[in-house]
Amino acid sequence: MNQDKTTKQMITEGLKSQRDMPVYNADTINKISREFEEWKNSAVSIENRKHYDITPHLLLGTDLPRGLVYSPIDIKFLDYGEDLGFPSKHPYTRGIHSNMYRGREFTIRQLSGFASPEDTNERIKFLLDNGATGINIVFDIPTIQEYDSDSPIARGQVGMGGVAVDSVNDMELLFKDVPIDKMSVSLVTHYPTNTAILFAMYLVMAERRGIPWEKLMGSVQNDIVMEEVVRGGLEFIPPRECFRTQCDNISFIRTHVPKWNCITLNGYNLREAGASAVTETSVAMANAIETLKELVERGHSAEWIAERISFFWDVASDFFVEIARLRAARRLWCRIMKYRFAADNDKAMLMRCHVQTSGLSLTSEEPMNNIVRAAYHALAAVLGGTQSLHVSSYDEAYSVPTEAASLVSLRTQQIIQEETAISAVVDPLGGSFYVESLTDELEKKILDEIDEIEKMGGIVEAINRGWLHKKITEYVHHENRMKKNLAIKIVAHNYHKLSGNRVAIDIFRYRSGVEERQRQKIENLKQRRDNTAVKKGLQKLREACLKHENVLPYCIEASRADATEGEIAQIFRETFGLWHPPVHW
Amino acid sequence: MQSDNIKIVIAILGLEPHWRGAVTVAQMLREFGVEVVYISNAFPEEIIKVAIQEDVSVVGVSSLSGGHLALGSDLIYLARKKHIKDKVVFIIGGVFPPNDYNELMNLGFDGVFGPGATGEEIYNFIRKALTAKLDYSAGKSIA
Repeated sequence: MNQDKTTKQMITEGLKSQRDMPVYNADTINKISREFEEWKNSAVSIENRKHYDITPHLLLGTDLPRGLVYSPIDIKFLDYGEDLGFPSKHPYTRGIHSNMYRGREFTIRQLSGFASPEDTNERIKFLLDNGATGINIVFDIPTIQEYDSDSPIARGQVGMGGVAVDSVNDMELLFKDVPIDKMSVSLVTHYPTNTAILFAMYLVMAERRGIPWEKLMGSVQNDIVMEEVVRGGLEFIPPRECFRTQCDNISFIRTHVPKWNCITLNGYNLREAGASAVTETSVAMANAIETLKELVERGHSAEWIAERISFFWDVASDFFVEIARLRAARRLWCRIMKYRFAADNDKAMLMRCHVQTSGLSLTSEEPMNNIVRAAYHALAAVLGGTQSLHVSSYDEAYSVPTEAASLVSLRTQQIIQEETAISAVVDPLGGSFYVESLTDELEKKILDEIDEIEKMGGIVEAINRGWLHKKITEYVHHENRMKKNLAIKIVAHNYHKLSGNRVAIDIFRYRSGVEERQRQKIENLKQRRDNTAVKKGLQKLREACLKHENVLPYCIEASRADATEGEIAQIFRETFGLWHPPVHW
Repeated sequence: MQSDNIKIVIAILGLEPHWRGAVTVAQMLREFGVEVVYISNAFPEEIIKVAIQEDVSVVGVSSLSGGHLALGSDLIYLARKKHIKDKVVFIIGGVFPPNDYNELMNLGFDGVFGPGATGEEIYNFIRKALTAKLDYSAGKSIA
């Protein structure tokens, strides 16, 4: 592997020798081109000719110009085998499984998490009883920010926006009677440091239930972009240490929990913070590339790690762009693995993903309209070939979803699966001149942006110097201006707006007393546990942090001794030091 | 009152991880000529401290994930304690259940803004609220 070349150079060189079987021969293309010009000059009005390409502006849009109609001219170099292939074959543009949804429906994986672990446990069981096929846990603000429920900093925020987890004890309550040895569990741990803590607790919970780690299936997020760029917060560790923790987690999880996805490159939250579909994908892939490089340096095989990498994408409103982007991401990831990392193991080249439909695209005005929006987003995700799906609920602009709203999200997916026959055929839009042309263009733009990041010194450096912070802030400002001048139209929000506030839906109410109960549990825990063992465990973690040893085994040991999340996180803050992310606005 | 006399401190309330809303409002108000002091995540003590130090006329806080009632109430309590509640306009924006709009007003916020609020709405509101506060404070000092 030549380290001096960028991924783009390696892919371009690799492809040059391969693409030699265009679907359309030159004569066909010439004939169609002549007919196209003739049609354009005779049948198309002067006005439409003048504005033949228009650029639709949408929320979380990508601003790609679109022609009036697409034809073989737009994909004249298309090489079927090299660019599309059959499903389950290189480069996976058409899907990762040969029979796609006929063999395995996409997993219905609705997020759940609110109040105490006991409350969320009930919601998990409600969703499973009604046909959900996977679990997806979101944590409350203090847990995500790595403070205990009894910390003064956590006051008033415990159990808000997700479930509170302070120790292994809470992890046990959260998954009580849930068959974690039989179904996959996604833990939305967001950050590398949080993954090291919460996944450690999950592993200890499994241990206490007598479930071997080898049986556990699921995913963590473990993404530096989430910890250092996407979130707001009080304390941040430096990007280098954050990246190191991300790689520590991957190295340990891949080795000891073989069926677990050790990193989920989270494009979703970056996109929702303010990014195009291109940036969402390029940043996730640039991070994946740098991560694989680091793990190779640590002595692992890139292919072996890549088998357990997964992606998490946002699907917003630009219907065909979203479909094309998922197809482009699959193709590009295959090419990255093949040409950048010289992989020949098929499993290492699959871009497997979870999609969540865009929450930002939902409005507080006339919330029932959000059901329609989310259904289009969900449809795009399925047409794009996602492996699992969360449909955002219509009441998200007000609070976490009610049970009724969660049910509509679940039903949206079941209706697609059972009532539309969409899942009967693999990649139904493959071959569409328009979709294939968009797929090509998006792949090119994503790769160009990966190239830009690599030339800057890679994703960690791009974060360190504030390039990414700046990029998303600029995107947000640009988008706001377009919303203001109605270049972006949002029905009932800034366009076709009704006067007066007309909310007529039930809104989720937080249960009271969660904070008090969590506090009480921590107090009891601290009396019950062997505090010497906790201290010893934390001291060993401190040494590991300083000595650049893998931190995860030490987090597990501390968790076994019932150390709390806040206690473990404090060690990271003390040993790694604090970093001030660049602020742009 | 001229817009260039308006100075606002904008903060994200407590541990709230979402920053897009606060940054958006900061930028929108700046386009209206408002002087913005943006301090990212902060707790009520810090926010009130900065508000006093910077001698702002408006305090704007953002909350999306549910911390608004507890921390919002702390903020207003401290504002009263430090005697700035009568002269400074307090606004809060973010994602709130509909009933909490009234509750936040009852706590003492002058204005509550949901995800649909535009820069113009917020700016016009601030101007109106400031004029009312100035009249009120003036009336009080004469009395």
